[in-house]
Amino acid sequence: MNETQAKPSNLSRRQFLKSSALVGGCAALATACQRAEDLASRAEAGTLPSGDFYDLARPENIIYTTCMNCNTGCGIKAKIVDGVMIKIDGNPYSPWTMTPHLRYRHSPADPVIAALDGAICPKGQAGIQTLYDPYRIRKVLKRIGKRGEGKWKSIPFEQAISEIVDGGKLFADVPGEESREVEGLDRICAVRDPALMSRLRADAARVTAGDMTVVAFKEAHRDHLHLLIDPEHPDLGPRNNQLVFNWGRMKAGRSQFVQRFISDSFGTINRIGHTTVCQGSLYFACRAMSEQYVNGEWTGGRKFYWQADLRNAEFVIFAGSNAFEGGYGPPLRTPKITTGLTERRLKFAVVDPRMGKLGGRAWKWVPAKPGSETALALAMIRWIIENERCDERYLSAANKAASDAIGEPNWSNATWLVKVGADGEPGDFLRVGDLPEEQRPSGETDRFLVLREGRLHAVNPDDTENPITGELLVDTTVDGIPVKSSMQLLYESSCEHDLEGWAEICGIRTRDIIDLAREFTSHGKKAAADVHRGVSQHTNGYLAVAAWMSLNMLVGNFGWKGGMIESSTFNATGTGAGQPYPVNNMHPGKLNPFGIPIIRDRVEYEKSTLFEGYPSKRPWYPIADSIYQEVIPSAGDAYPYSIKALILYMGAPNYALPAGNELNKILSDTKKIPLFISNDITIGATSAYADYIFPDGTYFERWEFHGSHGSVAQKVQPVRTPVVTPLVETCRVFGEEMSLSLESMMMGFAEKMQLSGFGPDGFGNGMPFTHPDHYYLKMVANIAADGSPVPDAGEREEAVFRSSRRHIAANTFDETRWREAVGEEWWKKVVYVLNRGGRFQDYPDTYRGEQLTNAYARLVNLYCEKTARFRNSMTGKRYDGIPRHYPVLDSLGQPLPESEEEYPLLLSTYRQSVQTKSRTNSAYWLLAVVPENAILMNRLTAESSRLKTGDEVIIKSASNPDGVWDLGELGMREVKGKIKVVEGMRPGVVTFSLGFGQWGNGARDMSVDGDTIRGDERRGRGINANAVMRVDPFLKNTALSDPIGASVVFYDTRVRLERAG
Amino acid sequence: MDNLTEEPSIPEPKVAYPAMSGARASTPEALLKSGGAESCRTRDESPGGDPGRKQFLAGIAALVGLGALSMPSLVRAGMAAAAEDSADAPDASLLRDGPRFDEDEAENIIVRMQKELQTAMRKPIEQRKWVMVIDLRKCTGCGACTISCIAENHLPAGVVYRPVMEEELGTYPNVSIRSTPRPCMQCETAPCVPVCPVRATWIRPDGIVDMDYDQCIGCRYCMTACPYHARTFDFGYDYSEGTPARQPYEEVPNYEYNKRWQQRKGRSPVGNVRKCHFCSHKIDAGMLPSCVTTCIGYATYFGDANDPESLVSELISRSNKIRLKEEMGTRPRVFYLI
Repeated sequence: MNETQAKPSNLSRRQFLKSSALVGGCAALATACQRAEDLASRAEAGTLPSGDFYDLARPENIIYTTCMNCNTGCGIKAKIVDGVMIKIDGNPYSPWTMTPHLRYRHSPADPVIAALDGAICPKGQAGIQTLYDPYRIRKVLKRIGKRGEGKWKSIPFEQAISEIVDGGKLFADVPGEESREVEGLDRICAVRDPALMSRLRADAARVTAGDMTVVAFKEAHRDHLHLLIDPEHPDLGPRNNQLVFNWGRMKAGRSQFVQRFISDSFGTINRIGHTTVCQGSLYFACRAMSEQYVNGEWTGGRKFYWQADLRNAEFVIFAGSNAFEGGYGPPLRTPKITTGLTERRLKFAVVDPRMGKLGGRAWKWVPAKPGSETALALAMIRWIIENERCDERYLSAANKAASDAIGEPNWSNATWLVKVGADGEPGDFLRVGDLPEEQRPSGETDRFLVLREGRLHAVNPDDTENPITGELLVDTTVDGIPVKSSMQLLYESSCEHDLEGWAEICGIRTRDIIDLAREFTSHGKKAAADVHRGVSQHTNGYLAVAAWMSLNMLVGNFGWKGGMIESSTFNATGTGAGQPYPVNNMHPGKLNPFGIPIIRDRVEYEKSTLFEGYPSKRPWYPIADSIYQEVIPSAGDAYPYSIKALILYMGAPNYALPAGNELNKILSDTKKIPLFISNDITIGATSAYADYIFPDGTYFERWEFHGSHGSVAQKVQPVRTPVVTPLVETCRVFGEEMSLSLESMMMGFAEKMQLSGFGPDGFGNGMPFTHPDHYYLKMVANIAADGSPVPDAGEREEAVFRSSRRHIAANTFDETRWREAVGEEWWKKVVYVLNRGGRFQDYPDTYRGEQLTNAYARLVNLYCEKTARFRNSMTGKRYDGIPRHYPVLDSLGQPLPESEEEYPLLLSTYRQSVQTKSRTNSAYWLLAVVPENAILMNRLTAESSRLKTGDEVIIKSASNPDGVWDLGELGMREVKGKIKVVEGMRPGVVTFSLGFGQWGNGARDMSVDGDTIRGDERRGRGINANAVMRVDPFLKNTALSDPIGASVVFYDTRVRLERAG
Repeated sequence: MDNLTEEPSIPEPKVAYPAMSGARASTPEALLKSGGAESCRTRDESPGGDPGRKQFLAGIAALVGLGALSMPSLVRAGMAAAAEDSADAPDASLLRDGPRFDEDEAENIIVRMQKELQTAMRKPIEQRKWVMVIDLRKCTGCGACTISCIAENHLPAGVVYRPVMEEELGTYPNVSIRSTPRPCMQCETAPCVPVCPVRATWIRPDGIVDMDYDQCIGCRYCMTACPYHARTFDFGYDYSEGTPARQPYEEVPNYEYNKRWQQRKGRSPVGNVRKCHFCSHKIDAGMLPSCVTTCIGYATYFGDANDPESLVSELISRSNKIRLKEEMGTRPRVFYLI
């Protein structure tokens, strides 16, 4: 530990009055304060240089990096004076923050370039207050009260590592836990031999495949059965899986680092992200649409989604997509929209029950009812098909050769024939093998079929030689088998109602549907339907997304300028050709974990040994992953098994999830979660319940590679790099000094447990992995090397690189260590990338004629056969392969019982440009602009409810009839907020913005080392109504969810408001 | 559209700042005189009477400043860096000509406006006429400018230079939103200047309404005289007030008026009136104001209206431009496009 105590500056007295464990006592912070004061004294004494007065334009005071005050990942330049970061601006090299962005070749050493600033949103500007936050934790904290009681003591890093690894009576001082024995990580990590892991894995797979009985498995592995969670169910995997690592926000770099430690070294399958709380169903619907048929199976679907090319589009429908305030967007999307408006290039419509900043500037604001998104898309689809306004030429192309022939970047399965069952439900595609031999148009039985001019034609989707086109609307019988084309299935789904019927479901005028559909089909491929959470976070989210993406298919806009973009990134993992460091392959003794994940994602219930008919105890999700709302409740129900330890990183699931208050009971229960470790920058909303909290660096003090979004047309890879010395204590791992962080925590565990993949030979052959830099610098080299490598940095650039980091301590920036990590061959290229905050394709290289250079160039599925092959584990019904409208349903497929009379309003949420979800309540500048949120309500609703702006109300729902947050030891908090009456809301819907109503992150008092640290009331203002969001009536501890795409539901809860009294 | 020129459309800032004086001074007739030479002096017109030592020194500083302003200091900064470390020496021709921008880059409004600003800085200060143009069709009311300004100028709690007003227009379902950023209008006939009893505020030759914190006695007459509520009083409230620790960013001095000011109780600028100055310290360094570069909607423009080639000259020639409360004769240098 670095125990250096710098002399307190007389201007910073306050911090030294309080616990040194939490806020003071950190050498790096004391140094920063001291520097700030020295600077002030010099200014006063007139000793500052006068010629170059303005420091913030000088190249040596700027480090280019990547923001993370939300998940947009904008390029930023951190401006640092004497070690203190005092200003943040947009990075002009980044297409996020300058439109069009600067050429990559410009030198950041050039003072003219250094003086050019890009645009960054208010949250990005306020990142200074994320870094310099009086409530940051500096040392490892250990709970000395009950979970959530808010009593902590600071302990040395080494002690924390030993206790967690070795286990024992760790909380003997806590009343009620005197004799509780905690199982340490060392015991949980049962299987460590890669060969044994592989043998167990292979035989467990044979059991699920039905090729081996459980009895035979037990006999074959009788010496190792104690290593399994349950020998009767070998497919659950080894006990290693009882360690669950769950995160809220993690990007490439850290993601691979965590994979290396958690999966490859520790050997647990449970490495779980948070996607479904964001827009899981959006990702997984697009994954299904991008699945490719290779060697007889659907594979290679990408977890991604398309977004509109706003720079070139002529018409965009933003459906549940709040581009001016959230939705991966403000800095990179806003200028393209606003410029489009004043140049009269762009017209846009907004489908959202709340008008907002975007709808308030739209050509048309369509306040459709929440939950009617699929209905609106299907209504438009019906009108478009019936009015023959599809791009038939595009849709008719059934394989690659056909799309090549007409100059399309991709092709669809719109014409492929689907077999229809006796119940009228579509099943698998018709294949050549389904036909009698004499009727087969091809010898290969696995080919798909289309109909053209009365004849069947075989389709090999990836055939580049023989163009195959088919008829779009087909409803016929082939050799006695009823078949319909994908397009026919879509059309029939759209015909479930006539336009008037759809309009009634949506609560809008028929004319609105026709206006939208006509405009959407009046701009060729320069029209786009851009969807986000408002479409995906419903019980029918997957199908709603599929419906909107099908609309895009009807105009064939994927990969076209002004159409839809798939993001494209430079690879950091090093697995590409010519890349020097495939980091996670450089791992001697790597484990290959197996088993059923605690959240049952990407596995089939029916194939598991747990199958016992429908409904399953909790839902299984064969095509989704990263199911945030399932992690803690599954541990609570011990289904499919109990867990022993939970590590949470940068997450606040109890705050961020709908019905998140249900988690507090489980988090507080040491039987359900015997060991709970959190990694956080403050005592966050969920960290407040942890046993241990390891301090992390903020996004200004660490590495990551942020990746891209669908609205970025360029191939990119933004880099996040330390810009200051981390304001936390340091520790020593593998003999090296490093700051406390997620990485040092994992490396500390690895060292103590002697796990593979870390240490002096961590990368093998004498290649050390004893400092996080050894890993991340190699990844930067991979980015530099991807495709055609970047140029070498010149001497002047190298000098700027060095001098701009002159204030960073050697435990974080050490040129020798950095150079050794990448090797001399790559060093100058690494400097070139880091000097620009990442790697960004030049603007002119983005487009090729009317198409995107990085166009989506594969099959797009209109009908998703892979999806339709799986069943809902609760109802036993097949998933739908084609978009279809459903009302709000619970996990058993039942409508909810509450009546409109009892709960007359629908609850929705949104984001403001000045807050993200759970972290930016620490930014006082943002709170100065919007100190608290409100419950927005239309004037008409307010009049009928006799409410007015400023009235305090409590929100109640059928699953939370008292309208309270039950925070366990933290007490109760009413779901109470102030009304704001507006015109721009659909009557009958109320909404609140996320980010307020906090109890973590400095909002509450806490006790550390016996000192009471007063919470800051400003951080806790406003309302978070997630607690009243509808709990699933069957599951009872989890919010409603989409059974296919696994999105957790934010927008389908009926509520009533009661005046707070 | 008409609303914009009328009183009701200029609401009080909706931000949560400590109460400001609500009193409003009636505008003196003299202020409405065109030119305003009598009431609005510029710094180089030395005021009569005993200027006092403080004022004298400030005058010297201003003169020194004028000399230095003929060349953007970012260029000087580069040269200084070169002098420090010859291995790092930037190519002198690069400094003179700047980097070569391709056509589409040069069309980027930030690149273009920065070049125009640097061109303007080569002229004597009195030949520059800075104006700001805010396109209300492009402003999304995100608040980036407000926060960037706070960060750039190290504004304490309660002080804001650039609030953004938001109004809903119409009734459901025919509704729209208008956001109006409200910096100091840098009036040619600035009502705040003549009411200052200690002559702590004046108009620079390039049109920026300047302040001298050392002179300001905090009487707040200027606040009541300003019809745009563009000035706020610095009560010295830290954002970290009531938290465990003051933070480093609050300790570091800012660069306003080409000096370094630290927020410290009992010392200027605490106890002074504060206002937007178009980031004059950045302009003097050859850079655009912070609200301009950080505008994510590309709604804020800045430049020299005396340069007929400049982007702002193009924009303010259009028929959709307005100025707030033009009828008061304040002649704002901030234009709005509607």
